[in-house]
Amino acid sequence: MNLSKQIDLTLLHATTTERDIINLAQEAIKYNFHSICVSSCYVPLAKQLITDSDIKISTVVGFPLGAATTSTKIFEAKEAIDYGADEISMVVNLGLLKSRNYVSILKDITDVKLAIGNIPLKVIIEISELNKNEIIKVCEICLDAKADYIETSTGFSKGGATLTAVKIIKKTVRDNISIKATGDIDDLETILKYLENGADRVGISTIIKPINNLRQLRNNKVYKQYLENSTLLEVEKVYQ
Amino acid sequence: MSPFNKFIDHTLLKATATKQDIIQLCEEAKQFGFFSVCVNSCYVSLAKANLERSEVKVCAVIGFPLGAMSTVSKVSETIDAIENGAEEIDMVLNVGWLKSKDYQGVLNDIKSVKDIMPNKTLKVILETCYLEDDDIIKASELAIEAGADFIKTSTGFGTRGASEKDITLMKSAIEGTTKIKASGGIRDAQTALKYINLGVHRLGTSSGIAIISGKTSDSNY
Repeated sequence: MNLSKQIDLTLLHATTTERDIINLAQEAIKYNFHSICVSSCYVPLAKQLITDSDIKISTVVGFPLGAATTSTKIFEAKEAIDYGADEISMVVNLGLLKSRNYVSILKDITDVKLAIGNIPLKVIIEISELNKNEIIKVCEICLDAKADYIETSTGFSKGGATLTAVKIIKKTVRDNISIKATGDIDDLETILKYLENGADRVGISTIIKPINNLRQLRNNKVYKQYLENSTLLEVEKVYQ
Repeated sequence: MSPFNKFIDHTLLKATATKQDIIQLCEEAKQFGFFSVCVNSCYVSLAKANLERSEVKVCAVIGFPLGAMSTVSKVSETIDAIENGAEEIDMVLNVGWLKSKDYQGVLNDIKSVKDIMPNKTLKVILETCYLEDDDIIKASELAIEAGADFIKTSTGFGTRGASEKDITLMKSAIEGTTKIKASGGIRDAQTALKYINLGVHRLGTSSGIAIISGKTSDSNY
């Protein structure tokens, strides 16, 4: 297992410049991360920047409120795919969830999944706005809608991923949907904790801290499996 | 009726707003005679249905709140909102492109939206909290060149809302018939009046009822 390939390097702030996206792509190539996750306006640029690597492009739709119409989410997803996006993260319609309009939420997710076919769909459920029962309910809807991933957070709400929420999600979906933990994750130990507790993918927005404590973690028995073949270690040798 | 009521876009944009919340927003807008209700695009149909036979318009936000949606996706969301009954569109300018000095991209982004709604009101949100003074002037000029009907200060989701200085800077860039909408952090009549006296034509607020009743709201928007 290559730990680097379980990490999406993410930059979604409103003020993100072209230069920031260029730096992001360079970092991702350097550490051989799974993908760079960018806003839909930057998908064409991102695609150009990673042409000669196997780094994937992830983008977000209906982001970060989830309150765009379904047809807008579909349009944004399909256009991004046309320009080279390999994975789509959509935000669940939280207002409809709070209105207990579960049929409409199922349709929102199902319609996007049907429209994008084999492209992996991650559904961001924004756990900081949900109680335990709502997390379980939305996970069940994601199972019905055949989503590929459940993603914890946008990073733009009250809080990011929590271990408690990841455990609830894992217990609900077992191995039927993958889990991505995002938001407030900025060091390697936290990344490894999420992976140990059911997450398959982790979104980070900085690569500085994860690298800093790599050395102290590489001898830890539990984490060894993640670090053994990691590109992060190779980069570490080169850069230290 | 309060003199303020027709200045106000009665606004509810938080992600967790329920259908019941939107229905209540519409009822309040009718009762107090607000200019419009401002909602996310998924609630345009519901708002329109609840405002039948009233003068209150439906205003939809586009590319909201980051402005980082691709141009054609903003156009698609706008077409959808107008088909569902929106009469005014508040789009967020592409702040990242502005910061990259890709002014042609920013202009084209706004113009592409305006081109498909020539007879409806387009407000362009600059999100002034992230902009330097010269960014605010440049963004205003680009929005005006692209045909915006209003330039608007804030989404309410950034680091701060409107400021007196923002309005002054925006006014200095205004030509012809372009108007200004102040939004974010307008919670009492005193603040509303301050902006109106500065020449603002519309106020975006979740505190409309408090404003016209002379009270102060604890809402963030």
